Amino acid sequence: MNTQVLVIDPAAGLAREARAPREEGLPGDFAIWIFILAEMLAFGVLFVAYAFTRAGDVELFNASQETLNRTAGAINTLVLITSSYFVMRAVTAIKHGLSKDCAWWLGAALMLGGVFVGIKAMEFHDKFAAGITLSTNSFYMFYLALTFFHFMHVLMGMIILAFVIAKAWRGGYSRQDHVGVETGASFWHMVDLLWIILFPLVYVIR
Amino acid sequence: MNTYASSNRFSSVIWLLLMVLTLTTFAIGEAGMAGSGAMLGLLLIALVKGQIVANYFMGLRHVAFGWRAVILAYFLLVGGLIALAYRWA
Repeated sequence: MNTQVLVIDPAAGLAREARAPREEGLPGDFAIWIFILAEMLAFGVLFVAYAFTRAGDVELFNASQETLNRTAGAINTLVLITSSYFVMRAVTAIKHGLSKDCAWWLGAALMLGGVFVGIKAMEFHDKFAAGITLSTNSFYMFYLALTFFHFMHVLMGMIILAFVIAKAWRGGYSRQDHVGVETGASFWHMVDLLWIILFPLVYVIR
Repeated sequence: MNTYASSNRFSSVIWLLLMVLTLTTFAIGEAGMAGSGAMLGLLLIALVKGQIVANYFMGLRHVAFGWRAVILAYFLLVGGLIALAYRWA
């Protein structure tokens, strides 16, 4: 009986293995994932704190939210998602050994990062010009803190992308070795992921 | 190059879907929709967008389920607590 169990058709086994879906490790350096989860946790706590603070004074939050530039927020969402798409195209390009294409896609993403920063800076300028500060009320405290905290992450992401672009342009990555591109890409996608919650929460939901 | 072209075509469709979902969120805001239905709809859109970015842009669909589950759990937990706070208000 035992021999019957042990005699398995090896060819059938290989075929099964070949059909099984390919499972890879996390894209990029593992350390960036610890950082990503820590950042998401920090933002998550702030998102929930915003929602519960709002519950204490709904009228104030709704009235203050009305003063935000929702169009600018929506454009920035489109900009950030498109930049994330460009970064994904860069990763696909380097996986096919196309180093220059990778650098171009990342360059386009970096440029959109600049557009995001420009629009956000304009928003901050408008609010400061209207005399709004962190201490104006609890809505603006959360709005300024959350968006500025996120803004700093966009700037950090842009610095990371710039380093990756420089290396990709010099041919520093290849089809086999492109962990650096994936690490930078993962960070950039996280920045996008956080904005996907931040935009509806602060600008739209009422 | 065929896989390269088809993978790029697929990611372009994904990008387009994210654009449409973002414009839907914006339209809900512009229409001044409020209340539980609008709030849950907006959180659901954010959940779907988050899953698309994590699985297709970040590439988590190729990694062990545990990592995808972490991102999904994050959106469910944060979104769930936000919904609770809005219902409680």
